[in-house]
Amino acid sequence: MDYGHPLRFGVLLAPGEHVATKALEDLVDLAELSEELGYDLVTFSGGPAQADPWTLASWAAGRTSRVRLLAAPARDGNPAVVARAAASLDLLAGGRVDLALATAHTPDADAVGEAIDVIRGIWSASERSPLYVEGKHHRVAGADRGPAPSRTVPLWIDGADPALLRLTGQKADGWTAPLALGTPPAHPGGHAEDGTAADSAPADSAPAGTAPAGTAPAGTAAGPAPDGSVVDGVWVGELVAAQRVIDAAAAEAGRDPREIRRLARIAGRFTADRGGFLTGPPEKWVADLLPLVLDAGFATFVLSAGDPETVRRFAAEVVPVLRTAVDRERRARGVAESAPARSAFVRSKRREGIDYDAVPASLAATAVEPGDAAYARVRSTYLRGGSPGLVLRPGTPADVGDAIRFARTQPVKLSIRSAGHGISGRSTNNGGIVIDVSRLNAIEVLDKETRRVRIEPGARWSDVAAALAPHGWALSSGDYGGVGVGGLATAGGIGWLVREHGLTIDHLRAVEMVLADGSQVRADEQENPELFWGVRGAGANFGIVTSFEFEVDEVGDVGFAQFVLDATDTADFLERWGAAMEAAPRDVTSAVILGRPRPGQPLIAQMMAVVDSDDADTIVSRLQPLAATAPLLDYSIQVLPYAAVMHVPPGTHDAQGEPVTRAALADHLTPELSAAAARLVRSGLTYFFHIRSVGGAASDVAPDATAYAGRSANFQLVAFGHSRGDLDPAWDALLPHFSGQYINFETDRRPERVHEAYPGDTLRRLRALKRRYDPAKVFRDNFAFDPAEEDVTPGAAAG
Amino acid sequence: MPDYGHDLLFGSFITPANATPHEVVALAQESEAAGLDLVTFQDHPYQAAFLDTWTLLSYVAARTERIRLSGNVINLPLRPPAVLARAAASLDLLSGGRFELGLGAGGFWDAIEAMGGRRLTPGQAVDALSEAIDIIRGLWDPSDTSRFRVDGTYYQVAGAKRGPAPAHDIGIWLGAYKPKMLRLTGAKADGWLPSLPYMGSLDAITEANAIIDEAADGAGREPAAVRRLLNVSGRFGAAGDGLLTGPPEQWAEQLAVLTLEYGFSSYILMGDDPAVIRTFGGEVAPLVRDLVAKERAARGTVR
Ligand SMILES: Cc1cc2nc3c(=O)[nH]c(=O)nc-3n(C[C@H](O)[C@H](O)[C@H](O)COP(=O)(O)OP(=O)(O)OC[C@H]3O[C@@H](n4cnc5c(N)ncnc54)[C@H](O)[C@@H]3O)c2cc1C
Repeated sequence: MDYGHPLRFGVLLAPGEHVATKALEDLVDLAELSEELGYDLVTFSGGPAQADPWTLASWAAGRTSRVRLLAAPARDGNPAVVARAAASLDLLAGGRVDLALATAHTPDADAVGEAIDVIRGIWSASERSPLYVEGKHHRVAGADRGPAPSRTVPLWIDGADPALLRLTGQKADGWTAPLALGTPPAHPGGHAEDGTAADSAPADSAPAGTAPAGTAPAGTAAGPAPDGSVVDGVWVGELVAAQRVIDAAAAEAGRDPREIRRLARIAGRFTADRGGFLTGPPEKWVADLLPLVLDAGFATFVLSAGDPETVRRFAAEVVPVLRTAVDRERRARGVAESAPARSAFVRSKRREGIDYDAVPASLAATAVEPGDAAYARVRSTYLRGGSPGLVLRPGTPADVGDAIRFARTQPVKLSIRSAGHGISGRSTNNGGIVIDVSRLNAIEVLDKETRRVRIEPGARWSDVAAALAPHGWALSSGDYGGVGVGGLATAGGIGWLVREHGLTIDHLRAVEMVLADGSQVRADEQENPELFWGVRGAGANFGIVTSFEFEVDEVGDVGFAQFVLDATDTADFLERWGAAMEAAPRDVTSAVILGRPRPGQPLIAQMMAVVDSDDADTIVSRLQPLAATAPLLDYSIQVLPYAAVMHVPPGTHDAQGEPVTRAALADHLTPELSAAAARLVRSGLTYFFHIRSVGGAASDVAPDATAYAGRSANFQLVAFGHSRGDLDPAWDALLPHFSGQYINFETDRRPERVHEAYPGDTLRRLRALKRRYDPAKVFRDNFAFDPAEEDVTPGAAAG
Repeated sequence: MPDYGHDLLFGSFITPANATPHEVVALAQESEAAGLDLVTFQDHPYQAAFLDTWTLLSYVAARTERIRLSGNVINLPLRPPAVLARAAASLDLLSGGRFELGLGAGGFWDAIEAMGGRRLTPGQAVDALSEAIDIIRGLWDPSDTSRFRVDGTYYQVAGAKRGPAPAHDIGIWLGAYKPKMLRLTGAKADGWLPSLPYMGSLDAITEANAIIDEAADGAGREPAAVRRLLNVSGRFGAAGDGLLTGPPEQWAEQLAVLTLEYGFSSYILMGDDPAVIRTFGGEVAPLVRDLVAKERAARGTVR
């Protein structure tokens, strides 16, 4: 009996009888030591001192960074609260939590089963209905769901009661064998005190007075048999019998028994002479544990040892030898090693067309499927609701290659995602695959002299600004720090410093990317220069960029101004603001936003501006002409670090529906365009009309120097509407006033948009690149063009 | 009237948003760096957008060195008192005596019931809180080696072993507004922790203090046994007419008045802006300490 699970080792941490600050600190030190020694997990019990195991686990989470925490809530906890606590611990600890349902003391399988339903129900945040569980022991009546943990938190059941074993088979992700089960032969001297410490959570007081205190719970009292007469191996039978009960219940519930991990708690002593079970030199330990793996199905061992020395020796002298022995035996017996399979529940939520079992091993553990707890956090993006069938989250460029090679064989849509702020970029879909590179988010300085920095696509511009600030540097990106590097730096990047420092892509010196065939390339002015040209404006068509190298600028504190203006005379305001911006020195960049008009009220414009100066006189002199473009209702001006202007806390996205936008570049806000734009705003068909200034340094670059061709533009416009059918005709009427397109704000998928963004020769060159790098059109979620034909289908991947 | 002469504490009150767990922790660390004495989090276990306050407090305690921590306030109806007592003692031991127990009777009964909690009337909830305080204090005292039994109306303990004892005398601070809760505060609690925005008027504060003092007296306690803490909100900027809207100097003067005339000695600022937290800890707190020390010296009320 061997389920082929990879071996994992943990340490049980339990305070002794007399708990004082020092004792608990020692315990946490032991947790840190376990992490250092390479243990996979630590677990806690309150010990005879009755410390709270959840508090211990939460504290240890704050003091460790890698080791998993098999955390047990205190008894009598409300399961809905336990669910939130476990999800919270998972979020704080970065996905390192397993939840142990401490059932040894309340072996009522019905109550535990209900608690599991409550816990999983609370975690199912992607279901929008409130949670109802009508149980005999637990009742939840319309609780809000959430939060979802960042990864599926495995649920463990601890107990030998047959009903609990069956419940484990039906619902749990892991089983912890009580120590008393399958009592191993003790050595003649006995070591009962080590053994009992392994499961020493005490009987306790209960608020409702249910559990009489002082009675030793079943499973803790018995230690190893008092005599060593039992022949090694015979006692394993009891454990195997328990495993069989679990497996039968699993099979009956339509589950694969391999979904369930099996954990054995062990305690022993290193001694020179061979004694009973786990008493003797390391070889004796290995010999004792090997049958538990090969014949009794255990692959996770939790060592109960209060002293660092045993913890050290076990890690150094038992673990590696046992691993080798297990490898050898498994090979000899033809047992394939595999992580526990995804549960029947998760498999039941799978979507058609995706061969889930073929997901490469490098991606399987971090991939998210619709049935996974983390799905609620990854299904949608900032502006777009989605329900993809599979989200792959590669953590290295090589894994990105695996992801692409896998995805291109699947007959479903493919979306690429960095930080999920795509508008044109359909970075989620319905039923398809998402390759999410948000885990690639490093930011590092390559060379201080030349201000060369390397930034990965999953970083957000808020993170970039914060990382560059200590050097006195900044990289003009956009006006919103939540936006990701990947989607913006492959397309353009119209930011707060654009007039002074140009587009984000104008600072790009090199990229590393993974192509449609999964291969990795570098592109810069020397190496693959044509690809480098294409990446700067149409990057999403050629691959997934995994690393950007930028030359950044020296930027200190900036003036940040917000004005509220009466734009009732809308056309006049737009024309004046446009003229003021064109006349302004390059150190000022600004933008205006007009909302939906409200009957009987003045039309309000918000104007934001950044002046790259910390000198009050300069700031005021730059802002005055802008403030004079319409009657001023309110304003604020601050001098702030650029990073403060860009600061946006990280968060997950849960949008619903599809954004409806139209966008364009314009050279000037002519009287005609201003009047037409004013009519559009007045029509109420757009609820958010945003004009950003461009020009300046962005226009110093030749239109054919990069795939971003709209270099003559001084303005970028975008209108958000509710209905495509209403917005399109209204916007189409404005087309004669425009000079081009910046793809990142446009959701219209008609082919004309591609021609606006990539006119004439630009598109010819891009098609040639597409033929060379992505002839099969693997990348098609964002302003995709065909390699050959005239047909273009921007954003064809949307579901 | 009263100045109970307590030393001054300044704290923060950070939204435990689970969308941004690391920002929440960072703000707590920011509070410590700003020199604040206390970081607190509200506890609404039925609120799906929040981190579990207990887990967060434990995690933050592990990530800070000096600052004290409290729930503001812990929701008793969804946290059984025996568990709470041991968890509080454990956290206090782990953190080297930095934990205080802000506790509330609960208020959002529909949400509590939806979570599977027990619905109580406001009056019952105060009685339950009173029982819970006895259980918590009873479990915190292992020097009493007798088995611990409580046969209360709301909670029962059937002969539990006591312990663990916390590292220091954890203060039990109650979020109280109505007379019954205020009387319980005076009779049993170590602190009174209301929010200024809910107090309505300064007169209401004076009345509440009087009820607490009288109840303390009735229980044979000094009124000064009950620390008065206050959650406040405000805005830094140009001087305004409102309470705590203006420059740090104006805040300091107003907080000094609240200390010297209304008996408060701890101010917990609600809000998640790190710049505001820095100003509160770095500028306001020292100014208030100064003003209060001078005035207390003049009055001769230093304890
Ligand atoms: C609130 C908000 C404010 C904005 N402000 C600005 C602004 O001021 N200036 C500006 O220029 N833009 C702005 N944008 C537009 C923004 O640049 C784009 O939406 C951009 O695509 C978002 O990048 P992301 O990585 O967050 O998006 P994602 O949704 O992660 O990706 C969007 C698309 O980009 C492509 N892509 C993503 N990652 C990669 C990669 N690693 N390699 C290749 N292709 C990739 C894919 O086609 C994907 O569909 C704003 C958007 C929003 C929502």
